[in-house]
Amino acid sequence: MSFLSFLVPTTAALPQLLAETASFPSDAPIDQLASWLGPNDLPYSLPIHPNLVHFTIGLFVISVAFDIAGALYPIEKRVFRFLALPITRTGFHDVGWYNLLACAIVSFFTVAAGFFEMLLAVPIAGVTSTIGLQSMETMLWHGVGGVLILLSIIAMTVWRGYQRFLWRRDLGRQVQWLYLLVGLGLFLVIGLHGTLGAELAGEFGVHITADQLLSSGADLNVALP
Amino acid sequence: MQQLLPTLNDHNLPWMDTIHPIVVHFVIAMAVISVIFDLIGVVMRRPNLFEVSFWNLLFATTAIFVAIIFGQVEAGLADPYGASRSILNLHSTLGWSLAGVLSLLTGWRYVLRNRDPQSLPMTFLAADGVLALLVVIQVTLGNQLIWVYGLHTVPVVAAGRAGLI
Repeated sequence: MSFLSFLVPTTAALPQLLAETASFPSDAPIDQLASWLGPNDLPYSLPIHPNLVHFTIGLFVISVAFDIAGALYPIEKRVFRFLALPITRTGFHDVGWYNLLACAIVSFFTVAAGFFEMLLAVPIAGVTSTIGLQSMETMLWHGVGGVLILLSIIAMTVWRGYQRFLWRRDLGRQVQWLYLLVGLGLFLVIGLHGTLGAELAGEFGVHITADQLLSSGADLNVALP
Repeated sequence: MQQLLPTLNDHNLPWMDTIHPIVVHFVIAMAVISVIFDLIGVVMRRPNLFEVSFWNLLFATTAIFVAIIFGQVEAGLADPYGASRSILNLHSTLGWSLAGVLSLLTGWRYVLRNRDPQSLPMTFLAADGVLALLVVIQVTLGNQLIWVYGLHTVPVVAAGRAGLI
C-alpha cells in the first residue's frame, strides 16, 4: 500500500543519501537538527501547513460568499424557487457565521504549523520567483502576511459576531455592506498571499522531497524510484 | 497541430501555476466541515447546523467537478515518474469516484432536508464517515504527488526536460 507510506518518514529510506548530500551550509542553525530531519527538511514526509490552508481559505471564502447570498436574498429567491431548492435567509447567514467561526479556530493552527515548517525551510539557492522575489523576501512576506491575515480573520469574526448577535439581530440582512466589501478585499490579499506560498513550494522547492534531492545533486531514478 | 496549443511555462503549464490545488481547497474544506457540523449538530442537538452542512456539501459537490476538470488537464501535462505513476492513477480513479459519492450523498441529503430539515438519520452520519475517510485518502495521495514527487514544480519539470528522470 504505497499510498500509506506517509506513515513512515521518508528519512528511513534515505539516511545515507541525506548524510552525503545535505543541502544547507554546515554552520546553519538548522544543522543542529539534521539527524532528525528527512530529505524534505521535515521530521515527516508531508507538510501540515498546506493542508490546514485548505480550511482557512475554503471556509473564509465560502463564509463571505454565503453572506453575500444572504444579503442578496430578495433578488435570488425566485431562482431558487425555480430550482425547487428551498432556502431561508437565516440558513445562508448561518453558513456565513459558522464557517467563519470554524475558519478563525483552525487558522491559529495554520499559522503555527506554517511557522514551524518555515523555520525548517531550506529554499533552493539562486532562484527568483515568477513575481520577481527571492526566497528570503518571499518567506518574510508570507510569514508576516500570515500573521496579519490571521489578525484580519479574527477581527472579521468579532465584527461578524457583533452584527449577528447585537447590531443586526432583528434584521433580515445580518451583515453590513461594508463587511462584505472588506471580505471581498481580503479575497485579493489572501489570493496574493497564497501565490507566495505556492511559489515557496513549486519554485523554491521548500519541503518537496524530489526538489531537495535534485538540488543536492541526487539522481531521482535511484533516490525516488 | 502543435502550434495551435498554448506554450508551456517552466511548470509545464499553459497558466502561471497549478490550479487544481486551489480548487480543491473548496472540496476538502467544505466536505470535511459538512461532516463535522453534522456530527456537532447531532451530538449537541443543534439542528440549524444541518442547514450549514447541507450547503457546504452542495458546494463541495459543485467544486469537485471543477477540480476534476483542472486535475485531468494538469495530470495530462504532468510527467509522472517512478512510483508517482501509480499514485496519480489511484488519485484520478478516487477523484472520479468521489464525484459520484458526493453527488449521491447530496441527492440523498436534498430529499432528507425536504422531508425534515430538523433531523438527521444515523445512516447518513455513517455515510459521512465513509466520505471523510475517502477524502483523507484522496488528500494523502495528492499530497504525495506534490510534496514527495514534486510534479509540476520547476526543478522536477527541468529535470524531466533534461531527460534526468
